[in-house]
Amino acid sequence: MIQLHNVFLSYQKEVSALSNINLKVAKGEFVFLTGISGAGKSTLLKLFYGALKPDRGQVLIDGQNIIRLPAAQIPYLRRKVGVVFQDFKLLPNRTVLENVALTLEVLGWGKKDIGKKVYHILKQMGLEHKINSTPLRLSGGEQQRVALARALVNDPKIILADEPTGNLDEESKSLILNILKESNIRGSTVVVASHDKRLIDNCHRRVVILDKGRITEDSDVPK
Amino acid sequence: MSPNKSAKRPKLSREGFWGQLHYFFTRAITNIRQNMLVNILTIGTISLAILIVTLLLMVYINLERATDQWSERVQVTAYFDSELTPQELNALKTKIHSIQGTGKVVYVSKAEALQRFHNRLKGQDALLEGVTANILPSALEIQLDKENRSSDALKAYVARLGKIQGITEIQYGDEWVKRFNNFMDFMRLVGILLGGFLVLAVVFIVANTIKLTIYSRKDELELLGLVGATRLFIKIPFLIEGILQGAIGSALAIILTTCLYLGFLHNAGNFLSFSPAEANLVFLPLPHLAGVFLGGILLGFLGSLTSLKRFINL
Repeated sequence: MIQLHNVFLSYQKEVSALSNINLKVAKGEFVFLTGISGAGKSTLLKLFYGALKPDRGQVLIDGQNIIRLPAAQIPYLRRKVGVVFQDFKLLPNRTVLENVALTLEVLGWGKKDIGKKVYHILKQMGLEHKINSTPLRLSGGEQQRVALARALVNDPKIILADEPTGNLDEESKSLILNILKESNIRGSTVVVASHDKRLIDNCHRRVVILDKGRITEDSDVPK
Repeated sequence: MSPNKSAKRPKLSREGFWGQLHYFFTRAITNIRQNMLVNILTIGTISLAILIVTLLLMVYINLERATDQWSERVQVTAYFDSELTPQELNALKTKIHSIQGTGKVVYVSKAEALQRFHNRLKGQDALLEGVTANILPSALEIQLDKENRSSDALKAYVARLGKIQGITEIQYGDEWVKRFNNFMDFMRLVGILLGGFLVLAVVFIVANTIKLTIYSRKDELELLGLVGATRLFIKIPFLIEGILQGAIGSALAIILTTCLYLGFLHNAGNFLSFSPAEANLVFLPLPHLAGVFLGGILLGFLGSLTSLKRFINL
């Protein structure tokens, strides 16, 4: 589902963000990307949804080489990828319903179908009673779940989550992780960037460790 | 629920051109509703900017109209040596009318010339003692078409007029016409320069106001791109918003101009020594109003289009 071959990327000419990355994530896999801050986790995720292009190397997402993908095709790639951003990226002047509906509006769904689908996913997240609230009236955990709902609402092939449990209490962390696991069971490929060692240890999944833009460890076997 | 199920999504809401247009209009109106304050400020700025242009346009149109009226005083007087019979006079008039640029031709008889002389020297009748109509020449006063009132055109006209047999002397106030035309050319240049700068300032103000509106929503633009919206999908509602802002702004400007015009007309008698009705002040003609309205729409559209280019970079 995701393949990287000899990928190099630098933000400025001298600062290397990713260096010689080789990585394969199979369809239906659940992978943690971990490492200290600045190790390159978020940069790697950005490659997966076409927000960045590497200086060298190949990046294949669902069989599409993003190096050769024309800019006009990037939106269609992103429709297959649900992203949970570290800063949530919720629109403060729109309700929870409208925030989650964005993903389906882009796909051209009808208003009625959007309403049903959004209500369904918010119910799964335990947020159906907040459907008409604006994000500013929600707690951090609730905002994270809305961001997750927006990423999952169209059942994407790939789910990318950047620090989805950062600054959350244990209960919220566990809830979010369970939602991601359920999506993985339903067939989505999930990549989670996190530096929460306890969370990763408890999850028993493949872990890719990054350091200074290089993969230093890739453990398929749960520790 | 497999992840591939999204391929079997429900029927699209915006199938066909009208479906899509309906969706984008609804989206644009919802966006305006959700960003009411910013939109009110933008529309207010647009209407004030267009109001200034509209007022200047009205002043310009009225000045042009006034100069047209003043330039009607540009006339040529043709004198002849002997008194003409009615037949000769008609033949002469026909010849004059055949010259290109001739407007109205009025015959001033000796008696009428004396009457005018009397009117001009009213109160000094002693000066006219012994003056009879016979010592004054009869003449033809010729007004020229609007296009032939410039100094050069006038000279060319007089040259052609001079070739007609029977006309012995031609007077046309050459110096006055020259000065009047120079003054009007200067006024037009000032008007065009002022208007040009004003229009540039308005375009700059409106474009920047719209840019700020869009800048305040750059997170929304970014997010739409991240969830898979195409450039067109992101741009169209913003462009429609720009068009609506321009349309509402220019409509408000036209309404304000109408109110100012009517208010001015209504109250002018109270605070001015002249009545605009007498001065014959006119409101903007319909094609100009339509131009202002369409200009506002174009401004809103182009303002949005150029601003979006800076923020949409998928």
